[in-house]
Amino acid sequence: MNRLKAIADGQTVESVIHEEVLAKDVVLSVKNFNLFYGRKQALHNISMPIAKGMVTALVGPSGCGKSTLLRSVNRMNDLIDSVRIEGDMLLNGESIFSPGVDVIQLRKRMGMVFQKPNPFPMSIFENVVYPLRIDGERDKTVLMQVCEHALRGAALWDEVKDRLHETGLGLSGGQQQRLCIARAIASDPEVLLLDEPCSALDPIATSKIEDLIDKLRGEYSILIVTHNMQQASRISDHTAFMYLGRLVEMAETSTIFTRPQLRETEDYITGRFG
Amino acid sequence: MSRTIPKRSMQSGVTAQGEPMVWLSGGMFAIACLMIISLLALVLWQGLSTLWPRNYLLYTRPDGALVAGEMYGRTKENGTTKLYMRSGNYDVSNQHFLYADEADLASASPWKPNTLWTVERKEWGNLYGFPKQLSWSDSPSDKFSDEVHAAMKESRSLDQKIALEKEQLKRIDHAISEARLAIRKVELNEKSDLQGDIDEAVAARFQAAEQNSSNWTPTRTISDRAKNAILRFADVSYKADAEMASINEQISQLEAKRAERTVLFELPIADPIGNLELGWDQVLEGKLGSWDAFKELVGPLSIDGETNNNPPTIQVHRISDEQVAWQTLGNGKLPRNFLLRKASPGSCEVFSMREHSVILADIVRFFPPNQLNTFQRLGVYFARWWEFLLGEPREAGIEGGFFPAIWGTVVMTLIMSLAVMPFGVLAALYMREYAKPGPLLSAIRISINNLAGVPSIVYGVFGLSFFCYMVGGYIDGGPAKAGFEPWPSATWFSALGLLAVVGIIAFSVALLAGQMGIHATNRRRWLRNASALLWLATLAGIALLLIKTPHFHGFYQAQLPNPTFGKGCLLWAACTLALLTLPVVIVATEEALAAVPNSLREGSYACGAGQWQTIHRIVLPYARPGIITGFILAMARGAGEVAPMMLVGAIPLATELPLDTEFPFIHGSRSFMHLGFQIYSLGFQSQNSEAAKPMVFTATLLLLTIVTLLNQTAIWLRARLRKRFQSSQF
Repeated sequence: MNRLKAIADGQTVESVIHEEVLAKDVVLSVKNFNLFYGRKQALHNISMPIAKGMVTALVGPSGCGKSTLLRSVNRMNDLIDSVRIEGDMLLNGESIFSPGVDVIQLRKRMGMVFQKPNPFPMSIFENVVYPLRIDGERDKTVLMQVCEHALRGAALWDEVKDRLHETGLGLSGGQQQRLCIARAIASDPEVLLLDEPCSALDPIATSKIEDLIDKLRGEYSILIVTHNMQQASRISDHTAFMYLGRLVEMAETSTIFTRPQLRETEDYITGRFG
Repeated sequence: MSRTIPKRSMQSGVTAQGEPMVWLSGGMFAIACLMIISLLALVLWQGLSTLWPRNYLLYTRPDGALVAGEMYGRTKENGTTKLYMRSGNYDVSNQHFLYADEADLASASPWKPNTLWTVERKEWGNLYGFPKQLSWSDSPSDKFSDEVHAAMKESRSLDQKIALEKEQLKRIDHAISEARLAIRKVELNEKSDLQGDIDEAVAARFQAAEQNSSNWTPTRTISDRAKNAILRFADVSYKADAEMASINEQISQLEAKRAERTVLFELPIADPIGNLELGWDQVLEGKLGSWDAFKELVGPLSIDGETNNNPPTIQVHRISDEQVAWQTLGNGKLPRNFLLRKASPGSCEVFSMREHSVILADIVRFFPPNQLNTFQRLGVYFARWWEFLLGEPREAGIEGGFFPAIWGTVVMTLIMSLAVMPFGVLAALYMREYAKPGPLLSAIRISINNLAGVPSIVYGVFGLSFFCYMVGGYIDGGPAKAGFEPWPSATWFSALGLLAVVGIIAFSVALLAGQMGIHATNRRRWLRNASALLWLATLAGIALLLIKTPHFHGFYQAQLPNPTFGKGCLLWAACTLALLTLPVVIVATEEALAAVPNSLREGSYACGAGQWQTIHRIVLPYARPGIITGFILAMARGAGEVAPMMLVGAIPLATELPLDTEFPFIHGSRSFMHLGFQIYSLGFQSQNSEAAKPMVFTATLLLLTIVTLLNQTAIWLRARLRKRFQSSQF
């Protein structure tokens, strides 16, 4: 426990990142990333690699900065005025935070799915092709192709193919969330960010989403925040354990769940703490 | 260590259930309901009943004077019953309505003659009387109705001809003033006075008469433009002179023809004509006694003036023990009505009804009120409503239609909506989506909320002084007319140059600030502030240059001193109302925007949408029901507003509509009639408020209906649109 206590006391603690994680191809690498809400520091010097084509799960107790880290990747935190950052992230080797970066261009390279399903108040079809619409795409056949591809990718096609032009708000919660995933993968993102995508869903819808994530593995690089240890163990290749804004330990999921290097991680995973 | 826990009371007292609060709040609720219901009931009853045709009853006083009128109601006051009647015949009696104390009347049972007509006229309001004779026909009295109906059709076409001729006059008038205006424009351009030349030219043209053009040459050198304008004016004046004379001749002929056909009525006003030696029993049976004496007393009873030798049949209507009405009817006879009062056992005093003739063409509608059945009454009632909604006002708005007022209100409200909508929505959009929250924004928001509570008359005063006198004066006659001292030309042009520089700087700074992206960095926020300030300065500079220009003298300088836009008119009324309803629209729009879930905005941003894309693809569609609701509420508020209207353009009687088929169709500089203002002016400003009272209620009902309809539309629309955006979550 002393490591976590040290973090709580504000001391700097080295992150433990296992060799096998570092050996993988990297799609996104976080470099000495610090984030402040006004004076309060929310992320402390985080460095971690996100492997290409794999599912990386961020776990940790509430308020540890998982979501903040995730929202930093596509710079959603820019919407908050008081946020200030230090350090950088590299998406396929290109800086995310350097001054010349066009945020809109950047966001077009990723997809994001939020806690609560947030389909737009328009038809299912328009929901899916929204990223292309804002790029000015008008060709019906192109839009239709993308829509079908994305909906199939999100395992929703069979359920909605007959009512593409009905409102997306008429779907069930789980379908809505898969619609959001379809929207996120419609523009073929380099990395897919999932912010607790199942926390507002019932177990059946959750298992469908988990199957979907499993299916997307390999095709997309996925970074997922989850509160649910079983979920992390079921779907992720890598798991990173965070505590109070610091990365504590990161390893292959099987390693983290069976023989973590740190006692603290094991305690958290097994539920003895937190 | 032991703690004592106090034992809880197991009884529920009166404070727990709060029984009194139920009664108190319920009582207040009941009072509120009662007030609403009684208000609605009053307006509905009064408004709906005004146009209903009622029975016309004739009461008498003991001295034989008639108290007659359409029964509007009876009221009890201090134990006496008062009758409220519409007496009509304003041109003779000088009153429209009368109150009569029932105690003063000879009897409580009135005479209800079937032969009496209610006649609605174009002027002087209703006439109530017994038709006696038609000037153009010898028809017997039972054919009067058909004859008048047929003749009214002809006279209507006569009226249309007169209207056409008057239209011609107006057109000629217009041509003359146009020609005069052209000279005035030349005068203003050349800063000259051409009055002498005009007089000469006109005189010369009149001398040249039939030669079609005059050979007038100016006695001094004037420009070709001036000469042409003057020649044209002289020509137009000459032609107009002849034309107008012939048109006036035409009109007077038509008017004379129009006045030819009249209907002679006997009004219910009794004049004593003498005594008749007749026993009261005979009077009650309708027996004449001496035919010669009667003939001598009452005059002719037949159309050819010859008094027939056969005594007429007499119908007797008993009014009281001492008073009786006699009616004579029959073929070839003049229907006459008399009132007989017992004077002494052997004689009685005879009253005849006063005669009054009405020009047939003045009759709008007539019917015998006392012999109508319910369906016929309904017919009259709906015909009156039809006229009320679609007709022109008669008798200074007391009678006839409200169409100009309805039309004026609708057009004004529509223009107001067009003006307020973009301003309100864009301002709210900026405040909610772009502006950085902070004390300044809060202060502005609170101020706007407070603006919604400013008394509307304040807006009226502002509209009058700013829109009518300043902006309107500026449009009419340039800065000088609006009360500004223009700068010298050199100063003005240097200021223009300075403004151009500032504008360019503002533009470039804005570009620079924009490139950094709204949320890109916090560091150089001063650049954004600077750009905003520079834009403000540019706007202020443009305004300053506009009001200080020495090179603009108004669009309507030639018409001065008659104001065109420099007075209350449709455009300024709409602008004033737009200002008044702006807070409503802003607040509603802001609320609608605030109700858009942030998750939608985030979702859109995460898809790589920019801020404007997010706003117009996600935020605005989602907020649309709320925005439309606020908009319609603003319209309803604007349509019902009266106080500012009194100052900025509503008038009690307008001859022209603000939107008609005449180019350019919308006449922003015209004054107009307005329903709300009409209620005020009829009820409190007209010569005859008493007569106007029923109409006030009807107009109130109409206004209430319009406002309620607008509000209902808003509610319906909101419900409908909201359904579209409702998510069937889980």
